[in-house]
Amino acid sequence: MGLRARLLRYAARRPRPLVVAVPGFTAVRLAAEADLRRRGWRPALSPAEADLLVVCGHPGPDLAGAIDTVWAQMPNPRARADLHTPSDVPSALDAASAHLADEPAQIEDAASRESWTPEESMDHSAMNHGEMDHGDMDHAAMGHGDMSQGHEGHEAMNHEPAGHEAMNHEATGHAHMNHGPQTADEGHEGHEGHEGHEGHEGHEGHAAMEGEPSGHEAMDHAAMGHGGHGGHGGGHEHHMMGAPHGLAMADRAPDRDGLKLDVLHVPFGPVLADWPAGLKVTFTLQGDLVQAAEVETLDADAGDEHFWDDTNVVAARLDALARLLAVAGWTGQAAQARVLRDEALKDGRVEPSRLAKFVRRTRRSRTLRWMLQDVRLGETNAWTRVSDWLDELGGETRPRTPVPPLGEMLVGLDVAAARLLVAALDPETERTVAEHV
Amino acid sequence: MSESLLVVLPLVAVLTIAAAAFDAVLAASAAGSPGPWRAWDSPLREAARQLVRQRRSTLASDRLLRRTGVLVLPVAAVLAAAVLPLGGSRAASDMSVGIVWFNAMEVAVWAGVWLAGWGVNSAYSLVGGYRMIAQGLAYELPHMFALITVGVGAESLRFSDVVTAQHDLWFAVQMPVAFLVYLLSALAMAFWGPLSSPVGADLAGGAAAELSGADRLVFSAGRYAMLAVAAAAAVPLFLGGGAGPLLPAWLWALLKTLAVLAALVWTARRLPVLRMDRFMTFAWTALIPATLLQLLVTGLIAL
Repeated sequence: MGLRARLLRYAARRPRPLVVAVPGFTAVRLAAEADLRRRGWRPALSPAEADLLVVCGHPGPDLAGAIDTVWAQMPNPRARADLHTPSDVPSALDAASAHLADEPAQIEDAASRESWTPEESMDHSAMNHGEMDHGDMDHAAMGHGDMSQGHEGHEAMNHEPAGHEAMNHEATGHAHMNHGPQTADEGHEGHEGHEGHEGHEGHEGHAAMEGEPSGHEAMDHAAMGHGGHGGHGGGHEHHMMGAPHGLAMADRAPDRDGLKLDVLHVPFGPVLADWPAGLKVTFTLQGDLVQAAEVETLDADAGDEHFWDDTNVVAARLDALARLLAVAGWTGQAAQARVLRDEALKDGRVEPSRLAKFVRRTRRSRTLRWMLQDVRLGETNAWTRVSDWLDELGGETRPRTPVPPLGEMLVGLDVAAARLLVAALDPETERTVAEHV
Repeated sequence: MSESLLVVLPLVAVLTIAAAAFDAVLAASAAGSPGPWRAWDSPLREAARQLVRQRRSTLASDRLLRRTGVLVLPVAAVLAAAVLPLGGSRAASDMSVGIVWFNAMEVAVWAGVWLAGWGVNSAYSLVGGYRMIAQGLAYELPHMFALITVGVGAESLRFSDVVTAQHDLWFAVQMPVAFLVYLLSALAMAFWGPLSSPVGADLAGGAAAELSGADRLVFSAGRYAMLAVAAAAAVPLFLGGGAGPLLPAWLWALLKTLAVLAALVWTARRLPVLRMDRFMTFAWTALIPATLLQLLVTGLIAL
């Protein structure tokens, strides 16, 4: 057995899973999280970090498209576990780990991936400079493969204007837009002259490559918003055609300090750690400040299960607290919340002294209060929300105070506060018609 | 130059792995996984995983900046370690401006994180980069005042002189505020624990979100190395270097380093991450006056 196979096998015994929550499949997610904890597999935060994609439930078409995009962003070795019922979990995770250790299968997977095609085989005249009008975040979102072999030559590659006359917007055009910056600049001049690309028949090719057009709904690691421009109604001039890598330049607008800053459109969710299932919020960011937020919920295919009800309030609150604490970066306490939650679900009760200790420690944290109390939720704030949850763990009941729509509350916050707000609001996304969004 | 030159690199490597292993064990223990001690080899598995992994690149990413940024971290950590006296023996390079050199290497980390965050052309990473710069603005002044206080107390910027000056009384006792501020900035220079917002979970990994394969391995190893070196520097700066009864000086220095390192790693699990806008206010309104007062007191004593 070669060194690579040994390393693969060694690493595959403790993969890093990226867990995708699907609305209406809470039971599957909880079973998966508990099993991952038992195995000691630490969840990953992003597709680049993960080698195992754990999909908890049957996603609907939009969500499935987003998940496929994330799957396409994951470098090899990679494995995917689609879980449909809680009882699937152990066997599916075992199979995924075995797949990660399987060298021939991984090599075959790597070789068959279009977005990972080595750059050397590519025809640069195919480089597509036109899609900025499409606003397709995907181009950016996908991890256009930078396999280590063969790209060096490309840095030197000149984009002569002549090359572009042949501009061939075929599907393949897109996997190789990953050039060095200097290439882009050189290419730039060549493109200024290009006109009349309105048609862009070739773009179907892109859609085909990326699966659903909705693929960009994935957690878009990407592209400082270049792509997001489609969102503003395609008001881009044609001189944008020469933009680097076929991406439109970000718009600029004055921010609250009167500075001209780039406007980026960045989706958060639906595939994002410690984020409500199926929620997607597209932030319009300047710097890290939210100027606008568009909220939507992507549904599951078959899930109309209501997992949380009056019988498991403690576990429900612990689940919400675990997400909030994880977003707040208090990793130890978030882990403790999950341990207690799983115990509550398994045994129907938690040892009161341990629960009391958890409540006490959370409530006493000055740092947590300091980070949460200026995050406004209508009349209340994130810290009072946490206090209410902690009270409910003690058996009291707290009415949910009505709050303004999520999209309005997010405006004016920075990303850190916005994430805390979403976690503290914990919008109910299980139902088809969500109440807050 | 001295024999320490040969020791620095393996020592930093061992401390780096120790920090990562301890962190993995703490994580497994917090998650209630059975047999948390068995997680000690997680960093090695992680390294194996990244070594066989494809490098990921985003569209229009700037490969040169990304790789430079990633590489800056371990390089800066090792270069910072070069001026630290290792217990009884001299530092690999015991230069007369050792403290300034150490500080310069630590600031290079900002550049590394910013370049890595910006170079990948991703909004998540970009915001992580912004946060690193904001964090630098917040902690750097109190940090420098703390280091200057040490320099004033020792009447030298050379690490070996600083150790000698603590013959009677450790600086941790003589200047407690400077010591506490130094520990806080040790977390900040490795963007660790409460000061880890540049690579925060709320940004899906922030500046590191897009890194995979060798890039991620070098980035995270460099981060742990920086944490280890920051802990190691606390020993000559505040904890009397290798001073201690019975045991040889090098062993005392190692034990003190491991104790500080363990405390720093443990802190990450016990505190929420500080939001940069909040921390900035705190740093400028509370930490800077406190460190200035400390400097004044130490200056009066030194006179």
